[in-house]
Amino acid sequence: MRSTGAARWIIAAPMALLAIATIYPMLYTLNIALKSRVDYVLDRGGLTTDFNFQNFVDAWTQANMGRYYLNSIFVTVVSVALILLISSMAGFALSHLTFRGSRATFLLILAAMMIPFQVIMVPFIKTLSDFSMINTYPGLIVAYVSQFLPFTIYFMTAYFARIPKEITEAARVDGNTIYGVFGRIMLPLGRPALLSMGILNALFCWNDILISLLVMQSPSQRTLMVGVSALRGQYPDNVPTYLAGVLLVVLPLIVVYLIFQRQITTGVTAGATKG
Amino acid sequence: MTALLGSRPDVPTDVRPGAASAKRRPRRRFTLERAAPLVLVFPAIAILLVFRVYPLALGVNFSFTGDQELNGVFIGLDNYVTLFTDVRFHAAARNVIVVLLFVPLEVLVAGILATFIFLKVPGHRFYRSVYFLPVVLSPIIIGAIFNIVLAANGPLNDVNKALGLPVIDWLGQSNSALPSVLGVHIWATFGMALVIFLAGFSTVDQELLDAARIDGASLGQTIWYVVIPELSQTIQFVFVTTTIGMLTGIFGLLYTMTAGGPGAASYLPEFLIWKLNGEAKPALASAASVVLLLLILVIGLLQIRVLRRATKEV
Repeated sequence: MRSTGAARWIIAAPMALLAIATIYPMLYTLNIALKSRVDYVLDRGGLTTDFNFQNFVDAWTQANMGRYYLNSIFVTVVSVALILLISSMAGFALSHLTFRGSRATFLLILAAMMIPFQVIMVPFIKTLSDFSMINTYPGLIVAYVSQFLPFTIYFMTAYFARIPKEITEAARVDGNTIYGVFGRIMLPLGRPALLSMGILNALFCWNDILISLLVMQSPSQRTLMVGVSALRGQYPDNVPTYLAGVLLVVLPLIVVYLIFQRQITTGVTAGATKG
Repeated sequence: MTALLGSRPDVPTDVRPGAASAKRRPRRRFTLERAAPLVLVFPAIAILLVFRVYPLALGVNFSFTGDQELNGVFIGLDNYVTLFTDVRFHAAARNVIVVLLFVPLEVLVAGILATFIFLKVPGHRFYRSVYFLPVVLSPIIIGAIFNIVLAANGPLNDVNKALGLPVIDWLGQSNSALPSVLGVHIWATFGMALVIFLAGFSTVDQELLDAARIDGASLGQTIWYVVIPELSQTIQFVFVTTTIGMLTGIFGLLYTMTAGGPGAASYLPEFLIWKLNGEAKPALASAASVVLLLLILVIGLLQIRVLRRATKEV
């Protein structure tokens, strides 16, 4: 399946162009964010010369970004912790234990995975408000947990199913309770899957806009993405400061991506190949 | 069993030390252990029933009731009638067809690029990393960046000018707004389809490839007769996830880039539902949700089929 050397270089050329097309918009944004407002108006396209970091300072201090960061970090961390705990418990039960209703439970999870949030958004908000959870952090956390749980359970079930049942049976013969097997055997063995799902769900929660817009309506409780999308209105005629704010949000995502690339791709490819 | 044990009272049934004390309080431990599977799945089931299944039923019910002064009153199919005569609904329905036309494009682009990367073109690792990068970025960020890039006075139009092409207000014209947003969506997500393809490639039986080479198959023949049949599951999976992504994952881009406009030119069902809900017409929005559900259901049943096969164990 190896093509000849020359052909491979010919293929590489359009791929390089596409790579540039992928990175260019981000570099363009960085270039503008480093310009002063005057410089931007006079010469949009040219490379920045003054490396004006004031835009970043302005975006951070004036636009309440620090507060939005804290809100997003809090909600993301709690949601992801709950998702991982609940999904690994369910995944263990579904893959290693036999009980009545396990098939029905698995079907419920698949069905829940199929229903996109948009379809239930109106009654979901109604349900949340019946619990008085609109505009509260628990409300947003419950929204994220219920949204991202089905896929994570599916993933954990598939992952645990690959661990031989002999291991869990041996652990029980050694005198462990089922809970002991879960805590001492399954969770440690499931660490790669938990890491993968942890990163992926953190990205989902961090990047969400629709759920956050619906659940959190007061400005001080905004998550980062809602805060950033509001920046545009705050700086209608100051594009460099707006884009500096955007880059402050991009930065942690790129760092996470560079560190956890492998875990992220493992997460998104689940179910794509034969058993 | 009792009779059997009773006939040999002198033989201890369990000689392990501590067996007797373990037997003294067997009931409680026994039931907690027996309940373990249910204890473990209970939180998941409870959350899904309360926050997924119940709202779904509630929403279907909503869709047959009225809004505002008719709140809670059964009005039959009136919402659906209103919906089917709404221009924004027509726009959204038309746009779904446009969206479905873009799906094969994304799958094809990702498939071809994945093939090249699988063939280890120079720099394949680098390309793989770069192509996937936008996947981790929020649609809000991507939308913000492309608002600038696609602006009437933005860099893309600078390129057009330099090449002598007409300057286009990509997001401001009704015939280019949605295709532009979909193009950005493909830019942002083809890396996802690409890594799924690569995961599929890694399962292709190397012996089949070697056999094809020994038999003198050309690269094209190898791809057509060996790789594609081997990848059928992956290809289905990519089609389903890409379609669902396009129908339910563009809200963030629409919200930042076009707000559904100009007019209703770039409305999609998810945006329409959000908009109707915001206009204090939750019942009408619920009717639109049911329509979207039916659409997703067809695609979702395909998805279940594909996923069930991937976890044969359950």
